[in-house]
Amino acid sequence: MQARETLATMKEPQPAHVVQASVNGLFRTTHTLKGMAGMLGFPNFSRAAHRLEDIFDLMRKGRLRSTDSLVETLEAGMMALESGLANLRMGRQEPDDYLHALRRPLGELEALARPAEGGTQDLTSLLDLPAEMLKTLSEYERTRVTVLLISGMPVHGVTVCLDYATFDERLRVYSETLGRLGELISTLPMDTPADRDGLAFLLVAACPALEAKDLSALEGELVGIALLADPTRVPAALRNEVPPEPATEEPPPEAPSAAAPPNPPQAQDVEILRLPAQRVEALEVRLMEVGQLRDAASLLLRQAPGNGDGRPAALLGQIESGLLEVQKALLQMRMVKVESLFSRIEPMVRSLSRDMGKPVKLTFLGGDLELERNLLGRFSEPFLHLVRNALDHGLEPPSERAAQGKSESGSLRISAAQRGRNLRFDIRDDGRGFDLERIEARGIQLGLLKAGQVHSPERLHRLTLEPGFSTQERITQISGRGVGMDVVRTEVEALGGEIHLSSEARRGSLIRLSVPLSRAVVSCLKVRCARQTFGIPLVNVGRVQAVKKALHGGDQVDVLGISLPLESLQACLGLPEPSGQRAFVVLGQPGAAARSVQVALGVDEILGRGEVLLRSLPELAHAAGIMGGSAQEDGILWVLDPEAILGLAMDSLMRRVARV
Amino acid sequence: MDLLLSTQDLREVVAAMPVAPLPGRPRGIQGVVLYQGEFLPILAWEDLPGCTIAPGRPVAVAVLRRRLGLPLDRMIGTLSPPPGAWQELEPGDPRERWLSGTCRLGGQTLLQVDPDRLIALLHRLREGR
Repeated sequence: MQARETLATMKEPQPAHVVQASVNGLFRTTHTLKGMAGMLGFPNFSRAAHRLEDIFDLMRKGRLRSTDSLVETLEAGMMALESGLANLRMGRQEPDDYLHALRRPLGELEALARPAEGGTQDLTSLLDLPAEMLKTLSEYERTRVTVLLISGMPVHGVTVCLDYATFDERLRVYSETLGRLGELISTLPMDTPADRDGLAFLLVAACPALEAKDLSALEGELVGIALLADPTRVPAALRNEVPPEPATEEPPPEAPSAAAPPNPPQAQDVEILRLPAQRVEALEVRLMEVGQLRDAASLLLRQAPGNGDGRPAALLGQIESGLLEVQKALLQMRMVKVESLFSRIEPMVRSLSRDMGKPVKLTFLGGDLELERNLLGRFSEPFLHLVRNALDHGLEPPSERAAQGKSESGSLRISAAQRGRNLRFDIRDDGRGFDLERIEARGIQLGLLKAGQVHSPERLHRLTLEPGFSTQERITQISGRGVGMDVVRTEVEALGGEIHLSSEARRGSLIRLSVPLSRAVVSCLKVRCARQTFGIPLVNVGRVQAVKKALHGGDQVDVLGISLPLESLQACLGLPEPSGQRAFVVLGQPGAAARSVQVALGVDEILGRGEVLLRSLPELAHAAGIMGGSAQEDGILWVLDPEAILGLAMDSLMRRVARV
Repeated sequence: MDLLLSTQDLREVVAAMPVAPLPGRPRGIQGVVLYQGEFLPILAWEDLPGCTIAPGRPVAVAVLRRRLGLPLDRMIGTLSPPPGAWQELEPGDPRERWLSGTCRLGGQTLLQVDPDRLIALLHRLREGR
């Protein structure tokens, strides 16, 4: 369904790079579907997914133009797979051809994409690179080189030698710079020059012109630029039959000339403003001051005798909602999609996989979620380190995998999901898992564990996060230098996050990182308890009910014919128990079935609903059941963490039962 | 109790503001204040082992670089103690979990707060250790 939604967006005019990213995503989706269906024993489904995957592959290589009719055919194809999947779930037999109704348009598309002479155009031989380096280019990269050269774009090679400690960050800067100037095609590892320390890379990029000053090299960084292929060397016959760029309706740029170099492909008519982050921060601080003025005015208004007809209060209400809108807009400016983190991982994994000779199937999930840009900045390095570790230590070489009956390609799945106020990332591999015996022996050797004692797997996994702990006897360029995991933990914990490791021998490992979102706008039901104001996220509120008879923790209440246990919010938060409450909120998990856990949460007073700007609490101030707070006219409103409150309520109810 | 705070550990000193108490107050922290648009945890001196500072009406909050607010009753001034003035705490002194030592100056003993130890202690208090 998500693939169909992506296809639907492709009918709208979009910049070429956005279309390219969508097509790449759809290619990966159909590829995954194909693999899963094959694995589960549905060969016809797998064949149909493969056929759609091929079409997406042709699109991403620029051999098929994204047109409305093509997108509609693919939408119909995805719908056919979707309905086929629903039938399989119901236990129905597989049809011979899921795409039977589309055989004609699909056949036409496949025919359209074939090269005129029956062979595939490949202009990578024009690149001034050693043959062994050319061989390492993937089919996709070769196609991009070909397409870009034919469209008149010169291809440059940028060699950089970067420090071990910062190469990730610096490589990202170079990649982003080249992406802005044109298109980054490939990042290839190179031999480090004999007189240098660090890691060397060749970045192959197509852009109209490139000079050292464009690259913002740091002092001491060795940077070289060379023209790898000049589009004027493309045979004239090929230049005449220009394959179109995907979804680009404009004619291809002319071959470059010294007088007027061609511009890189332009996005739609959207003006992009780049602002220093400090300006947005300054605006937020100013906004906070305005908010404080509003609070002061509100206080004065409440204290002023006979403040009349309520118009001042109404005006303050309007200021409040206006401020919240601006705060929301500012917050949105700070957010960035998780996809941007994933897009940094993909080339790194590809490069390391090639370097280490370990083929990897890399899958991502949850790229549409958003996190704050500054969080992403601080979080990226530890994250990349963990991915490198998974490749270096987790995944076995192909021969070792084959000997264990595993596929030669390792699997690395990286997913993001929102859990309460946290963004949770999972890095899952199907490698050898942590060697717990070795970790235990090393822990004893380092004096971190006592010999003769039983150490739980959790304790042993966690030991790898201790400073200086490494079982690696050899130091690789990738990891295993005894630093890193503790730095990862420190960085993640400094962000108020958590890291959790688990693994199973020869089955794989799971590294779970949770980082709190520092700010978010949350729609809340506002309630009062123990003279404090609380917000309950509306997505978790099933019902609000007032009752005549005073209720107490441990009572059962009837909600639409279902009996639910009631617990007071005070009991959940460890506050003094109320003498009786006449209102409750049915709290549950969002979107969960009716039979899932629900609790009636007793509150002193229901105040109403509203949107609040949630700020997370620093780690030292974490309080059980509290997700964060929001500054309000009458003090801080504490926003409850519904999942935690459900747990606290159940614990409290169990204690009541145990006391009886 | 007169304390010494290294200026290197300080972000700034701001006027005291009302502290919002946290529901189910975590040990060691009395609540939070809004500082530069973020919540700043405020230390509860009375929860520290061996500390005789009683909850009062602070006039200022010393904001540590590691984002913790220390409520202060008054500020005495700045000084640069000579190396010989420093002394270790007596072994077993419960305050060594949050102090780095004492400084003897003109017949007066000043206690130097160690932010690293203090924050580590607050984490341990949270975990109930």
